[in-house]
Amino acid sequence: MSALVPSSDEHASQAITVSRPRRLDDVTFAELFRECGADVHAYAISLLGNSSAAEDVTALAFERLYKSRSRLDHDRGTPRAWLFAIARNAALDELRRRRRQPQGELSADLPGEEDSEATLEHIARRATVRDALAALSLREREVVLLKFHGQLSNSELARALGISESNAGTRLHRALTRLREQCAQLDREEVA
Amino acid sequence: MKVIPFPGGSDTGPEESWLAELEAALNGDGKSASADSWRELRADVRALAPPMDPEFERQLRERIAERGARSIPKGARSPKQSQRRLAWLRPTPPTLAVLSVAFAVIAAVLITAPWRPAGHTVESSAKSSSISARADHLGPAFGPAESAPVAGASAANAANAPVAGGAVSAPGRVQQLGASITLTATPSNVQETADRVGRLAVSDGGFVQSSHVNVGQGTGEANLTLSLPSAKLSGALAALGRLAPVRDESQSLQDITNTYDAAAQRLADATAERQALLHALSQASTEGQIDSLRERLSQNRSRIAQARSALQAVSQHASTAEVEVTVVGDAHAGSEGLTLHRGLHDAGRVLVVTLVVLLIAAAVLVPLALLLLALLTARRAWLRHRRERVLDAP
Repeated sequence: MSALVPSSDEHASQAITVSRPRRLDDVTFAELFRECGADVHAYAISLLGNSSAAEDVTALAFERLYKSRSRLDHDRGTPRAWLFAIARNAALDELRRRRRQPQGELSADLPGEEDSEATLEHIARRATVRDALAALSLREREVVLLKFHGQLSNSELARALGISESNAGTRLHRALTRLREQCAQLDREEVA
Repeated sequence: MKVIPFPGGSDTGPEESWLAELEAALNGDGKSASADSWRELRADVRALAPPMDPEFERQLRERIAERGARSIPKGARSPKQSQRRLAWLRPTPPTLAVLSVAFAVIAAVLITAPWRPAGHTVESSAKSSSISARADHLGPAFGPAESAPVAGASAANAANAPVAGGAVSAPGRVQQLGASITLTATPSNVQETADRVGRLAVSDGGFVQSSHVNVGQGTGEANLTLSLPSAKLSGALAALGRLAPVRDESQSLQDITNTYDAAAQRLADATAERQALLHALSQASTEGQIDSLRERLSQNRSRIAQARSALQAVSQHASTAEVEVTVVGDAHAGSEGLTLHRGLHDAGRVLVVTLVVLLIAAAVLVPLALLLLALLTARRAWLRHRRERVLDAP
């Protein structure tokens, strides 16, 4: 299981290394891109379902973060959290502009080099998670995506969503519960 | 197929422990099966997203690197340095306080500047009439050569006299200028100031028409009426202002062209009559005619003298300006430099004016700032609402 994707533990520790720089100068900014760029893109493409739109949002998020780097208040969040808050706004603007629902570009197929290690069980489970995720409402899905791609703490999640921490916790709890229920239901249907 | 075990079976609201458990699991702290399942779920969700296009990633990385190189050119200021250099401009409370005080002091100095008398007024009662018509009318009317220079010079003096304070004398018009000025001095200096005013009038080619000085115990006042050449009125007023602080100043201008024209016409008529009488006398053949004409010539001479005198009087009014000077004895007036009392008085006045300026500025700026804040808040709320609405779309 852990070989399918980069270790989440490892990823989390990487996120922590860029989470508390003293100032977002250009060196840190490049480092932030190296460590968060793929996550921002993954979040955007998962939410928008369109690769070109996701690339636009990713570029725009880094552009906006770069322009507003002097206003970064480290006491109110990490650069990563700020980046994902910007990415969320950009993604929602993109969604509003396009006036269309996300399209199904989410894929359960694994990259070729990892096919050898992938098991049928993993593939099936990810297909289940993909379908369960697609069954969520957009509002629920974005919370899950922000939490898992952004690796934000609850307070950072709340700040990105522009709501209180308790509300963010409630929303996250509901979204994950729904995701879990959807997965369970899909599993039951498959077994049946 | 294996059913994925998801932790947190309760459907009630999120517990603190549930969120803490989730955080701990995602941070790799938990070792339980529940924690493992959270991490697996995160890994599955993350693995669903297609990877970033390598070409796009390369381009974006290059753009970011390029941005970094551009923002820190060799030998140029870094954002950190520029921020440090301009840090004092940030609107911190002390900076704002200093700027406010500086603004208020400048405003107070401008308002209380001594070069702008409090009661500076200019009065003008010019009457309108045609300049060219007057010039044509006067030309042939002056008969004898001796009367023309007097009237011409007077008119020229009046017309060219500069008038301070904005009252502009029209060319070709005959105008009478006047002014009044009130000076302040300490009671002990009223007499001396009055003397200096008199000397100033003489030095400017004028004289003191009347003078009344009253100095008592702790009080004093002097009233002087000066007659000055109109051409020197402006300079004289400026010189008077330098003698003592000016409390009040006013200037007046009265157009006496019609009076002047009437006097000149009477002189011209009398002169023409004289010419006619002289001509008739040369043609007279009888003693009776000659005696009668001589009698009329005698009367005519008297009329000419009267007309000339009247014309000269009008010209005199035009060429001289009457200035009424009042020197008021004021115990608080400091005509000899800075004193402690005057300094305190001025400081108090500056403070009052400062408070007024600050009050006015606050009355203008505070509503504007509130309005701006409300607009910004509304804009942010609208943007957020617009974004959130997208999430609720079916």
